[in-house]
Amino acid sequence: MTSNDPATSTRIEVRVLFFGAAKDAVGESEISLDLEPNSTAATARELLLERYANLRRFGRSLLFAVNQEYAQPEVIIKAGDELAVLPPVSGG
Amino acid sequence: MNWRCCLRSVAVEKRVHENDFFEITDQPLDVGAIARRVVLPECGATVTLDGYAREWTKGRQTKFLEYEAYPEMALKELRKLADAAHKQFEIVHIGIVHRIGKLEIGETSVVIAVSAPHRQAAFQACEWAIKELKRTVPIWKKEVYADGEEWVDPQRS
Repeated sequence: MTSNDPATSTRIEVRVLFFGAAKDAVGESEISLDLEPNSTAATARELLLERYANLRRFGRSLLFAVNQEYAQPEVIIKAGDELAVLPPVSGG
Repeated sequence: MNWRCCLRSVAVEKRVHENDFFEITDQPLDVGAIARRVVLPECGATVTLDGYAREWTKGRQTKFLEYEAYPEMALKELRKLADAAHKQFEIVHIGIVHRIGKLEIGETSVVIAVSAPHRQAAFQACEWAIKELKRTVPIWKKEVYADGEEWVDPQRS
């Protein structure tokens, strides 16, 4: 495969941070993730749930942030974005 | 380590509340000193919440707590929370400091200080602010018991 192959050369890389119980479930606080161009937050979420099945126990309570803002599922992820996987918050 | 932000950095904000402050820190909190930071001549009352580590929860004894934050996002969410508080309540200033890391029983985890010309608005805003913080700000609490530990899930507890 050459670097001109569109399937590889256009993939984007993002950082993914894990916090609290999600960090424990994954066993890492940060990973880098390869995505197809024009992937959405929902796609990234699916990929992460596939890779880390332990995250599934959080169900719909598991929230996602892109660049430090709560993200809607349809948000497009760009190269270099900072994603975060957030279990239910419990500050105070 | 200490993460700070203040509204001076938000150039586009119409109403800039220059004396508001938001911090995430792993250092002990001095409640009195934080409360005094919102005391200003145009105000007549400051209401301060001192949230601290509780030993007993539903009959189970906690040894200590551990808090974790996503600091950059937590500061953004605190700023949004404060903006919303200014819109809803007749308050002048609000400051919120949350501690992270290991906290012994009785140590302060969060301080919310709200000042207003009249006390009623300050009480209401302070109560609203802690509820909103618990709902939206990316900070997590782990209870460490004598016989185990668990991240607090507010949807289950």
